[in-house]
Amino acid sequence: MAVLLPLRAAPQMDGFSLTSWLANIKWWQIGLLLLIWPVHAFAQGAVTVNDALAVLYKWAPFLVLNGFLFNVLISVLSMALGTGLGVLVGLTLISKWYALRLIGNTGTAFFRNAPWLVLLFVVLLAFPFEFTIFGMRVPFPGWIKAVIGLSLPVAANIAIVVRGAIQSVPSAQWEAAESLSFTRIQTLWQIIIPQCIKRMIPPWMNWYAILTMATPLCSILGTEEMVTLTRQAMEAEGNKPEFLMPFYGFVLVLFFLYCYPIAKLTVRLERKFAVKL
Amino acid sequence: MTRLIALTMGLLTATTSVNAAECSNATLKRITERGEIAVGVKADYKPFGFRDPNGEVVGLEIDLAKEVAATLGVKLRLVPVVASNRMQFVEQGQTDLMIATMTDTKERRNIVGIPGPNYYASGTNILSPKALAFKDWKDLNGKPVCGIQGAFYNQSVSDKYGAKISAFTNAAEAKQALRDRKCVAFLFDDASIASDLASGSWGEFEMPLQSEDQAPWGLAVAKSEEACAFGTLISGLEYNWHRSGKLLELEKKWEIKSTGYLQSMHDKMADPIK
Repeated sequence: MAVLLPLRAAPQMDGFSLTSWLANIKWWQIGLLLLIWPVHAFAQGAVTVNDALAVLYKWAPFLVLNGFLFNVLISVLSMALGTGLGVLVGLTLISKWYALRLIGNTGTAFFRNAPWLVLLFVVLLAFPFEFTIFGMRVPFPGWIKAVIGLSLPVAANIAIVVRGAIQSVPSAQWEAAESLSFTRIQTLWQIIIPQCIKRMIPPWMNWYAILTMATPLCSILGTEEMVTLTRQAMEAEGNKPEFLMPFYGFVLVLFFLYCYPIAKLTVRLERKFAVKL
Repeated sequence: MTRLIALTMGLLTATTSVNAAECSNATLKRITERGEIAVGVKADYKPFGFRDPNGEVVGLEIDLAKEVAATLGVKLRLVPVVASNRMQFVEQGQTDLMIATMTDTKERRNIVGIPGPNYYASGTNILSPKALAFKDWKDLNGKPVCGIQGAFYNQSVSDKYGAKISAFTNAAEAKQALRDRKCVAFLFDDASIASDLASGSWGEFEMPLQSEDQAPWGLAVAKSEEACAFGTLISGLEYNWHRSGKLLELEKKWEIKSTGYLQSMHDKMADPIK
């Protein structure tokens, strides 16, 4: 007999898959991982656990202050720049002018689908290392180029988020505004966008977490960030393979401690703001 | 006769073209104007350029950079570079001088100016398990060998002896791969391998082969400065470091296993008048 089974949405990959995966890690799982991990990592080699940890302890302040905080700075600046750009581009995506929409769509499609590392390389090589403005020498260091390079894909993705949020506002709102003789700009700024901000916060935070985890890419371009400095620290300690796990493990723990609360909060906000159907 | 005339003409034009390459001495002017010299150095190549736990970059090459700055009477600004951007920085003028463990090759001389005499030289060798008992470079044929990205000898060893090179970003990762038996040998410069073996944590390993390609290292300046004041100044400094024994002294200070190059240069350039 044919029975109509209850309809369940199939699990799908969306923009949140990484964040929700991260947020779904339970504390006991982390504890378990910490328990078994060092045993495997230190099972080989002549350097003991205590030696390696002592060396790591010596380097930790430098790695955190000059390395990790710099990654955080890069991520914050990239996010700020990417958000500003993204909102502007997002508005072109809903423009009434076809030409503007076309430009916006093409740019967004390009920067969303280009590999981040390639974008970083292009920005690094395309810009000069200093500008001369009115006889003043303005240096343009590599890390600022990294900020610009990382902000491009973020901007394209934020643009999509902005468009999605604006389109998610029921069309009745537009019609009501029109009947009250609001102009299009007024409707957008005074009625639609204020309603969007709440919905944009979870995906925006999701992209921030992804961006932060992508900042070590800059090490390939020679920017002095966490991973670059970690490698240099291992070199200074004689490049013993036994240091690989403790040092890279330290990087992992720092990034996890930073991104995990963001992921948790994102998922909570997402649930809170979810539109009930 | 015609050939002779042609040759003379050729020589003449060659000389004039050298003279015609006017020296703007832009680098030297920039250094004096700013009161600062920017030197590209390695921060990941112990003991030539590496970090101490306070984050300062130190090493043999940093001592050389300090000497250059002191000679010019300007402040020193160190710019950490990696193999992939060091020549580009000199070309663009982002750094005035590069002292970054760079091997002097013909191809590199087309891009940057490398004034002689070379300040250091090292050979290529492998670190491999004693159990494998390699005798000759040819034994590496078809075998996986770990190396470092950007090292010039990767290509030559793979071309000449048929070794399959997998290049890692740093030495620790390459050595871990060797320990994990992902490759039969680790290809690196002989001075570094010798100091690793001396450290005692590589008991099962050896440096079994005859060092290859004793290759000179070069300081680099912008191509336009090579034959001009700045390049000549660097040449003169390098010459003095050899003659006075400064480089030998630094080699001892940073506990680098001698490759014999510095001693032979010191002897060659020794002051004949005692």
